[in-house]
Amino acid sequence: MIEAKELKKRFGRKQILNGVSFTANKGEITCLIGINGVGKTTILKGIMNLTPMDSGQILIDGEKMSKDMYEKITFIPDAITMIPTMTIAEAMQFMQDYYKSWNQARATELLRFFKLKQEEKISSLSKGNTAKVNLLLGLALDVDYLLMDEPFSGIDIFSREQIADVFTSHLVEDRGVVITTHEINDIEHLIDKVVLLDNGVVLKEFRTEEMREDEGKSVVDVMREVYRG
Amino acid sequence: MKRYLKLVNFEIGRFMKIYLVLIGITILSQLIGVIVMAKNYVANANEVIFVDSLPLEQFIEQYGEMGMMDVVGSIWFIGPIALCAAAFIFYIFFIWYRDWVGKNTFIYRLLMLPTSRLNILLSKATAIFIMVFGLVSVQLILLPIESMLLKWNVPFDFRIDMTVSEIINNNSYLFILIPDSFIQFIINYGIGFMVVFILFTAILFERSFRWKGALLGIIYCAIASIIFLAPLIYEIGFEASFFYTEEIFVIEIILGILVTAMSIWLSKLLLNKKVTV
Repeated sequence: MIEAKELKKRFGRKQILNGVSFTANKGEITCLIGINGVGKTTILKGIMNLTPMDSGQILIDGEKMSKDMYEKITFIPDAITMIPTMTIAEAMQFMQDYYKSWNQARATELLRFFKLKQEEKISSLSKGNTAKVNLLLGLALDVDYLLMDEPFSGIDIFSREQIADVFTSHLVEDRGVVITTHEINDIEHLIDKVVLLDNGVVLKEFRTEEMREDEGKSVVDVMREVYRG
Repeated sequence: MKRYLKLVNFEIGRFMKIYLVLIGITILSQLIGVIVMAKNYVANANEVIFVDSLPLEQFIEQYGEMGMMDVVGSIWFIGPIALCAAAFIFYIFFIWYRDWVGKNTFIYRLLMLPTSRLNILLSKATAIFIMVFGLVSVQLILLPIESMLLKWNVPFDFRIDMTVSEIINNNSYLFILIPDSFIQFIINYGIGFMVVFILFTAILFERSFRWKGALLGIIYCAIASIIFLAPLIYEIGFEASFFYTEEIFVIEIILGILVTAMSIWLSKLLLNKKVTV
């Protein structure tokens, strides 16, 4: 389980996070929702120790982040984390060189699934295909937790469908996924848990199925209630 | 250790094209320089001796003999060395910022590698050191080749022959690059490496705290320099010699190690606790 406790972060004069707490379980898809600039990406970067928090605590299965944790949790940002001059094959080789958790069989499967050619240079790929390579590099790691930042932003409809399909496949099954988005429609049916953020705090944290069964509300209904008051 | 070595190899690979171009420019410029200078000298000698009918002895008296000293003092020789030096000073900054600025987010990947972040710092520094030594080695190989080229192009009566060690000892900047004693070598390159680590720390201050960090970085560079130069500043300030040369040497070595260790420790701290992507 990923536990974020009382996270606080200030950039200059702006308090981005002001005591954010939530949990994300293994085997579930947890979605951080909020408008742009609300601090969703900062939370993910904080979990990965890419941006230090001013205060608060982050635990992954009860342990603090360390170098070995990068074999257990990975982050897929909204931009590709590889050198653009590399080919897809070179990028995969790089991952294989450094990560024990790299699963080449799964990477090959993802290449086929996304219809990507490994000899292609990353810089020559379309935005949609670049996003798919980015996803591939994260999903092909045998990690317990996946953090994804806006995987659907600025991508064509067909690529979005393909990426959404990944969430229902064995590629994600059994892992804990934390995803940020402000476009909920594509994945509403896939989400297990929602964390609604605004003004640096968690406004509401709920399980989608319980919400549907108990109150008959969809994620969008709850969002309307919370954000529009 | 394995991942550190892989990272070193990776960093060198990323700069290899530019590095090979720098080596190519050095080789071409210096070899062409020897030939052009030798040909010009011989052509001038022919003109003065055969057209103006000046005796050989008088020509040498007037124009001097040609030797490697003339070559190493020319722009053909110094130019590429200056270019390489400038490229490496630029590279100290480029090696970090290329992964950070613009749309490039490769720094995310580097920081998320399942290895100590200190390895990232050390691999970048090691890559620079290896490539600098590579260039110095190329220069060492080039010097005897250039001497030979000069011999082929300038007749015996018109030239001064020097050994490689004589060429180096008679040229102040070559002497800095390729000192004749091991201790001097350690001092020169030790100072160079210390400066690299100080600048890396300043860069990481900037990457951790942005504008405030840039200021902190500059202050850190000043503090590190003052610590390292403290004995010399003290002596100059008091206009007196408190220490024997040997004592200064030992103190400087200790201070150099101290400043380098402090820079590495601070860089590690910044990389682990403060750096922000």
